[in-house]
Amino acid sequence: MRTLKLVVVAIIFLATGFSANAQLTGTQIIDKTYNRATGEDQTSTLKMTLTNKQGKQRIRTIKQFSKDFGDVEKSIMFFQSPADVKNTSFMNWSYDSDKSDDQWIYLPALKRVKRISSDSKSDYFMGSDFTYDDLGDRKLNADNHKLLREEIINGKACYVVESISKDEDYMYSKTITWIDKSNFVGVKKEFYDEVEELLKILTIKKVEEISGFYVITNSEMKNVQKNHKTTMILSGVKVNTGVSASKFSERIMTRGI
Amino acid sequence: MENILKKLLKAPWVIVALTIVISAFLFWQMKENSRMETNLDKYMPQEHPAFVFSDQAEEWFGINDGIIVAIENKNGIFNTETLDTLKQLTKRLQKMDEIEKADVTSLYTADNIVGSEDGMDVKRFYKRVPKTTEKINNLKQNVIKNEMVYGRLVSTDTTVTVVIAEIKDDVFTQEFYNEILELVKSYENENIKLYVAGRPIVEGTMALLGPADMKKMVPIVLLVITLVLIIMLRSVKSTLLTMAVVFLSTLWAFGVMAVSGIPIYAVSTMIPVMLIAIGVADGIHLYSHLQLFLRKNPNATKKEGAIDMIQNMWKPVVMTSITTAIGFVSLLTSEVYPIKYFGIFTAFGVLMAMVFSLVLIPAGIMIFGLPKVKKVKSSNSENKLARNFSDWIVNHKSISIFATIAIVAVSIIGMQKIWINSSFLDKFENDSDIVLTDKFINDHFGGTTTLNLILDANGKKDAFKNPEVLKLVDKMQHKVQNDLPVVGNTFSLTDYINRMNKVMNADDEKFNTIPDSRDMVAQYLLLYEMSGDPENLNKVVNYDYEKLNITFQLKSDNSKALNSALEVINSFESDFKKQGIKIKYAGSGYKGLIFTDLILEGQIMSLILSLIIIIVLISIMFKNIKIGFIASVPIIVTAGISFGVMGFLDIPLSTTTALLSSIAIGIGIDYAVHFIEQYRINARKTSDKLIIAEKTMAHSGRAITYNAIVVIAGFMVLLFSVFPPNRELGALVSLNMFTSFIGTVTIMLVLLNISKINFNNKSNKEAK
Repeated sequence: MRTLKLVVVAIIFLATGFSANAQLTGTQIIDKTYNRATGEDQTSTLKMTLTNKQGKQRIRTIKQFSKDFGDVEKSIMFFQSPADVKNTSFMNWSYDSDKSDDQWIYLPALKRVKRISSDSKSDYFMGSDFTYDDLGDRKLNADNHKLLREEIINGKACYVVESISKDEDYMYSKTITWIDKSNFVGVKKEFYDEVEELLKILTIKKVEEISGFYVITNSEMKNVQKNHKTTMILSGVKVNTGVSASKFSERIMTRGI
Repeated sequence: MENILKKLLKAPWVIVALTIVISAFLFWQMKENSRMETNLDKYMPQEHPAFVFSDQAEEWFGINDGIIVAIENKNGIFNTETLDTLKQLTKRLQKMDEIEKADVTSLYTADNIVGSEDGMDVKRFYKRVPKTTEKINNLKQNVIKNEMVYGRLVSTDTTVTVVIAEIKDDVFTQEFYNEILELVKSYENENIKLYVAGRPIVEGTMALLGPADMKKMVPIVLLVITLVLIIMLRSVKSTLLTMAVVFLSTLWAFGVMAVSGIPIYAVSTMIPVMLIAIGVADGIHLYSHLQLFLRKNPNATKKEGAIDMIQNMWKPVVMTSITTAIGFVSLLTSEVYPIKYFGIFTAFGVLMAMVFSLVLIPAGIMIFGLPKVKKVKSSNSENKLARNFSDWIVNHKSISIFATIAIVAVSIIGMQKIWINSSFLDKFENDSDIVLTDKFINDHFGGTTTLNLILDANGKKDAFKNPEVLKLVDKMQHKVQNDLPVVGNTFSLTDYINRMNKVMNADDEKFNTIPDSRDMVAQYLLLYEMSGDPENLNKVVNYDYEKLNITFQLKSDNSKALNSALEVINSFESDFKKQGIKIKYAGSGYKGLIFTDLILEGQIMSLILSLIIIIVLISIMFKNIKIGFIASVPIIVTAGISFGVMGFLDIPLSTTTALLSSIAIGIGIDYAVHFIEQYRINARKTSDKLIIAEKTMAHSGRAITYNAIVVIAGFMVLLFSVFPPNRELGALVSLNMFTSFIGTVTIMLVLLNISKINFNNKSNKEAK
């Protein structure tokens, strides 16, 4: 049995041996994807549309800024609409180390900034179908990655990588990611729940090259079990405009943009 | 008709063979295609507005009934062992095919949102099972401080915690229930006890237990009836043929049901009961007549006997069967499909019993010969008894009349006390596991029965972000909970907002209220969506914030409890109306209530309708409207007494007991028709009213007495049933038989006697 496995692995290795990135393992591919150059800072307006089973929608527009400080990535966002939450702001500091995120919320009606501490990284982002992890907050070494195959999807040659969580209690038993071989931008991702049933499908609908960086400007996350979906459309994306470091503070949260 | 029947006498074997072939086919069909319908939703009229709305609301808010598994540890649940059991059980339930993962709620899945001076903390209560005393105490404090779980998921004495697994309506099966029971049992040890309860269990068990009990009891009923019939008819042959009629008519009814692809509903299991009670009557009357004929003509051949029997008895048998069938057909007016089917197939069975009685019994006589008539002395004393009795009745008319009036008057008083009960739990024994478990959980938690109130702002977006509206909702929730001890818990959007307001104000109890600012409400909701599980909010408010779902947990599922809650809620109707909000209800508890009302409404409608049709029909049959009314007297008295007794004995009207009024009509009318027909025959022979009464009593009175004794004896067996509704059924059927019988031979005889109906002015050919 063991020898058979070895033989199979050897054959796969040989078969794929002639392609350009033959030496890449699943882990290396995911590493390249996670650490793809995205610029120092980014400014954009996010239009988030939540659609429920009955086809009803909640639409939110958020002005957002983010900046990479090396060991920490900071982002701040201000709600523009709906009117009753206008100027509500939210700040997130995400660390490269294992330290959990620092988060603050400012509610204009309460007129106070409050810290939010959450032990769960599986929290959903703003009530959407995306978790913080889904949005790129997942650490490389949290999963075991395995290159399953290569295939062409939407006309793009992709790696197909399976990632299995090292933590048994994690909300996804596994994810399968289709990654564009040419630029290491994700194309599609499937999320499987704790009982290994398909839970969500992420589809990248539009990738734009802005100031030399690839930016995903239109993506859709669909929860197939709840029949609920979220689309995120970015507009007015600017990269490396030199967003001031002082923007990411409690004072700015209360003052607004 | 008579000629056809006589011709059939020449080919008894053909009849028997044909009957056997068709019966075999239907039996095979029944074996292949019959299925039990256990999904109670299928019993509800889907197009009724209340159900349409409830189904919609269930869809909007994901309202499902939950299976509740309670974990009890007398030493308290806050220890590693119990917390581990809770975690394991939660995960196992989440993994079951029948259960959606997100539909399982327990302390293990719940979020703990707490406030502090500078912020807000969102944590699971525990993920890894805490092992140190410090961590366990910490968890305990968190639970006690969080009113979203304390008293809801963990009992206030901290000895019990629950896992709630919501399931879809059509999921419950006996196998699934057994699987859960087995799973639960595997976690039990000397410290930890587990209990399973919840509406799906109650509904499912009821849908299975009633028919299962019926299956066990009906053969015993048949056995007892057979034995009593043997004693009464003094003939094994006659008894077996009579029972064959009952058996075949039931088989045919269920066979045709299977052929037409209609499933067996719980009420359908009453069909055999009805057919036993009604079907034996034809046989008894036929044989009783035959015996009397043979007494007078001891040397008659079997053919003469059969012909005389057919000649004299076919009319009353047909008349009684048609009137009875009409009584059941009138159930078609019901809005509830299982009841319609019950009506149709019982009517069909009654008509088949008629056909078998008229065809098979004579054929049986031709094949097996006449029943032996033992020359017993008792026949003389029997006659004497009939004579004395009828003389006494006729000579003391006023006693019957006054007694009837008095009994009816008392019954009317009793009827006032009748109440309708839609409870499922009340159908179980007080000391049954299901009732005890339910009581146990009700003692420790809010309640096992839920009532969903849906507030509808008619498409006005964000109506439920308005603090004024929310404060009104909050006030109503408090009033219902404080005024009614039966309501253990209420839950709605206000609970989330109160909690968020408290959390964002450093957990200060002062802020456990709805804030005054509308923006504040909107921002708290956004914050909850961002930090808690947004799915939770979807269960209490819809996407546009224009429909609200408020859950009331009740400690009892009976109609009195539900109605008391509805009353308090409805007192807020005008306040909500001012805000442009309508009050509607949803959920299984409410549907059960409406369903019961519908059944009763339909039942009362069909009762009145069938009474009118029967009076008209009998008036036409006997060509005299007075007879129609006289014949209806025993029925009315029987139904009156039946309801009166239920009132006095505090037996509520439920789906089972309400259907019983059909039997009162079905049987009552049989007695009356046989008796009147005989009275008419005798009236043509003599004008001496006393002799008419005596002769009728000796003939029909005798058969009716046999009939009553046989059926009462049979149904008394049901008093030993383990399923209370079946016991009530047995008692009430017996009572109805008894009162019909007494009513026919007393007050009806008296009315016939004092009426000035002239039976002789009919043309003579009718008698032949």
